[in-house]
Amino acid sequence: MRTHVAEPWIEAPLQTFVDEAHALFALLLHPNGQVMGQFGFTRAVDVMAACALAAAIHASAGELGKELDGKPFREMYHAGRDRQIFIGDVPTTQQQFVFLTVFDSESSLGLVRIYFQELCELLEDAQPPVMKQAPISSTSLEHDLNRNLAILFGRAPRATDGGESSLSLS
Amino acid sequence: MSLVNYATREITCKIVYYGPGRSGKTTNLHYIYEQVPGDRKGQMVSLATQTDRTLFFDFLPLDLGTISGFSTRFQLYTVPGQVYYQATRKLVLHGADGVVFVADSQARQLAENVESMQDLHANLAEHNIDVRTMPLVLQYNKQDLPRTLISSVPELEDALNFRDVPSFAADALHGTGVFETLRGIAGIVLKRLSAGSAPAPAAAAAGGR
Repeated sequence: MRTHVAEPWIEAPLQTFVDEAHALFALLLHPNGQVMGQFGFTRAVDVMAACALAAAIHASAGELGKELDGKPFREMYHAGRDRQIFIGDVPTTQQQFVFLTVFDSESSLGLVRIYFQELCELLEDAQPPVMKQAPISSTSLEHDLNRNLAILFGRAPRATDGGESSLSLS
Repeated sequence: MSLVNYATREITCKIVYYGPGRSGKTTNLHYIYEQVPGDRKGQMVSLATQTDRTLFFDFLPLDLGTISGFSTRFQLYTVPGQVYYQATRKLVLHGADGVVFVADSQARQLAENVESMQDLHANLAEHNIDVRTMPLVLQYNKQDLPRTLISSVPELEDALNFRDVPSFAADALHGTGVFETLRGIAGIVLKRLSAGSAPAPAAAAAGGR
């Protein structure tokens, strides 16, 4: 199984970590819960849920660290019966990320920590300059949005579904 | 912060349902979850207390399909409404692309609605976001209750909608207005992306298949 990444520069560092540390799952995400790279998941919606929870753990532990120690916790580790989880900050010079990995007896916390440190260094070296985002074409945007939401909600698209605000109950 | 991957043509957006306690934020997500086919949604994650009050957040990932040539996913979050969860609301609001403010239409809740809106403004300010630029829609929930118990839409507009953003009357328990609200905020967020004004670095979604 290969890694899936949002940007090409993440792929090699993440794949190296997965291969070397024998991880079962790996997630690189923004602190707000947006995924940047992943290994081990098959459905995008499952990745999003995992990222939301990882971001929540990271954010709440950070706040807890500030309360108890005056500074956020940088790493967290939990040992389950069969699988273990490690979460750490990835502070690059341009952006901050959160990293989560799950591993079993094929690996160890010591190994994960070593390769996590290497991952941080590889990401730091690989990251390109932050580029301004180009606009998305607005062609067919409203039509596509209305059609797709109508399909999701089991409603046939209607000609009057024009996105206007409505203040009356039907 | 929307993530846009031009290579794989994917967009991921974060929408936060905000509002006072028991206004119906989680009910909105429950209704959406029940309506959407299984292959277009993930598990709804609820970090709740034993009495089903939201403790940290609810989360529902949605696959909206292809929009303007981009595979589009929305992450729907709720925040805990009770006043003492202020710190948690701030965390969940981090990186939001749009906000749905769910107001409780009951007349006795008007002050709580106003307080929650002020709390939203304060939390956005702490994230260095100008409330006037954040995509926002209002939902006046529980409009199905007897007229004697609720504030009218004009009264709610007067109290809460100073930006004159789109607003929707709703009965989230039975689904009325839920779809329209989601369509409203999704449209604003995506139009903002198409206008190139979303505050985001070049980044992307990296989901699985």
